[in-house]
Amino acid sequence: MSGASASTRVAKEPVAVVGIGQTKHVAARRDVSIAGLVREAAHRALRDAELTWADIDAVVIGKAPDFFEGVMMPELYLADALGAVGKPMLRVHTAGSVGGSTALVAANLVAGRVHGTVLTLAFEKQSESNAMWGLSLPVPFQQPLLAGAGGFFAPHIRAYMRRTGAPDTIGSLVAYKDRRNALKNPYAHLHEHDITLEKVQSAPMLWDPVRYSETCPSSDGACAMVLTDRAGAARAPRPPAWMHGGAMRSEPTMFAGKDFVSPRAGKDCAADVYRQAGIADPRREIDAVEMYVPFSWYEPMWLENLGFAAEGEGWKLTESGVTELDGDLPVNMSGGVLSTNPIGASGMIRFAEAALQVRGQAGEHQVAGTRKALGHAYGGGSQFFSMWLVGAEPPTT
Amino acid sequence: MTEVLSAPLVVEFPFTRSVGPVQSAFLTGLRERTLLGVRAADGTVLVPPVEYDPATAAELRDLVEVAPTGTVTTWAWNPGPRRGQPLDTPFAWVLVRLDGADTALLHALDAPDPDAVRTGLRVRVRWAAERTGAITDIACFEPYEGDVMVHQAPSHSGEFVGEAVTGIVAPARLDYTYSPGRAQSQYIRALSGHRTVGERCPSCRKVYVPPRGACPTCGVATAEQVEVGPRGTVTTFCIVNIKAKGLDIEVPYVYAHIALDGADLALHARIAGIPYDRVRMGLRVEPVWADSATGSRYPDHYRPTGEPDADYDTYKELV
Repeated sequence: MSGASASTRVAKEPVAVVGIGQTKHVAARRDVSIAGLVREAAHRALRDAELTWADIDAVVIGKAPDFFEGVMMPELYLADALGAVGKPMLRVHTAGSVGGSTALVAANLVAGRVHGTVLTLAFEKQSESNAMWGLSLPVPFQQPLLAGAGGFFAPHIRAYMRRTGAPDTIGSLVAYKDRRNALKNPYAHLHEHDITLEKVQSAPMLWDPVRYSETCPSSDGACAMVLTDRAGAARAPRPPAWMHGGAMRSEPTMFAGKDFVSPRAGKDCAADVYRQAGIADPRREIDAVEMYVPFSWYEPMWLENLGFAAEGEGWKLTESGVTELDGDLPVNMSGGVLSTNPIGASGMIRFAEAALQVRGQAGEHQVAGTRKALGHAYGGGSQFFSMWLVGAEPPTT
Repeated sequence: MTEVLSAPLVVEFPFTRSVGPVQSAFLTGLRERTLLGVRAADGTVLVPPVEYDPATAAELRDLVEVAPTGTVTTWAWNPGPRRGQPLDTPFAWVLVRLDGADTALLHALDAPDPDAVRTGLRVRVRWAAERTGAITDIACFEPYEGDVMVHQAPSHSGEFVGEAVTGIVAPARLDYTYSPGRAQSQYIRALSGHRTVGERCPSCRKVYVPPRGACPTCGVATAEQVEVGPRGTVTTFCIVNIKAKGLDIEVPYVYAHIALDGADLALHARIAGIPYDRVRMGLRVEPVWADSATGSRYPDHYRPTGEPDADYDTYKELV
């Protein structure tokens, strides 16, 4: 059977991003329901694509755990807000990486020619959530969790610092860069106009070595994209972003030999994306990166995990300004998760911002001449990864 | 054979919700004893109202007022009301199509027994004495001797005297029975004797603490018990400066990953008995068991043993 299927194998349909919409991310959107929030992003994506609800064949939606907002399976009540009545609607959940994997599930429906045009969307209403402690349930017989999300990741950051000998200041450089980038992004949550490096460095330590200034905010927001096939892309009013590769990988939260600093699942996921996209040297061939950095130090950590730097060398790219907006490999031009974190949407924002760059639609935080950009998301205990590589030109393979 | 442990797990949060403009008018209306619906694109009146048209996805904002009387369209008897339900005596769950509406609203009907309930029964709202702008402002429905009122569902601005309801608090509670399974039950019982017992994978030979009964890497069952510790090495840590909810620990404190001697992955615990800023990777530590009066089986914290620090190379694979 495998021989027969291989001989009749049809190439995948190329996938194009033709519409992108975000809400203005803020601490609390008390003026809208969840339905109103997702509607706003979806509406903007449709407007960008110059399409109507009738042009959408299916809806793929993602968010972080239901328990955050306490609405079980919220997608059930969002079908009318998203024009999904009478159409297939899917829900994806892979913790913090969900925004990325949601986009990939939608993209695969187009690539597999199941649907021509798919609306994909992710959201979180953190102001109505219990994210920090919603994940720390009082499970009987178990020791209470002692530290929350930051306390989970801070020891791994210390391990990275020990392993690489990176100077203590690297994290603050990332936060200072991302918060300045956010000033150029009208949708970013944090707009700290008076930010200085000194302010970042003098902020209190929450989970030493993680400072308050080096952690992500808690945001309400949604992000939506319209994905379509070659025919849809031909009708698009603005240049599309083309998907050149996309992959997801998972591994257990904890196992003997797990490398929390540079998880195997992340390396494998990136390698798969580069293979699909024909990327041999990511550092030279990729022009810009939107990666999931909820704590500043994860920038150098992921630079190594994603193959942009050799092991132990990631912090040098940050320190030398390579990842600045005007650097040789800009990272988180939008301000990143450090400036905006509606958890379930954060991964999709990375994917969408990568697409905006290759479309030349990123506005003030546009990096001139971006031809290929990587969008990256991770979640859980560094155990779910999703990534895509988008380009300004259609894929050749 | 170890008896498997089991205990109740209650998950409970008061969730807040922003309700958006349409639900805001509906809930504010309930507070003012006025029932609002919304007119859909095809002219039908939806009660409770929704923000977007179920057929066309169009935004709906055309509010109308309906009557506090209606007709039961279907029902189910609830012989044993549970916590948080509208009535504490047996009642009927009913779908009520209010006069002037085209859809039905779910609520409770106060009726003495199932024989008193039927589809087509005429009912009316019994308002709660104290109303806050919530669905519970309708205490329940009650049988009502009266004909269907011809009701044109007049337009309504959605505006009322007093502050509009923009949000609600929805208490959520889930009741589980939690069982940690065979392997963890054995581990927890051993802790009571101040021993830490893991399990070795028969395939990769790694020792898991706490044990899960299976190796997550090899996917095979584990059974061989291995006592580890009591001493161990701090592999990495952070200094916590935020007071944890429900934990009686003064900040700052050190939250560390500790590889117990003989274990192949680190567990997490607090370090004390040393100034927080003196804790370091490689520090050798031992458990200080909790006073049994506290009810905790776990070490209260770990403290330095006084041994020389472990060399980085001896534990770097466990970081």
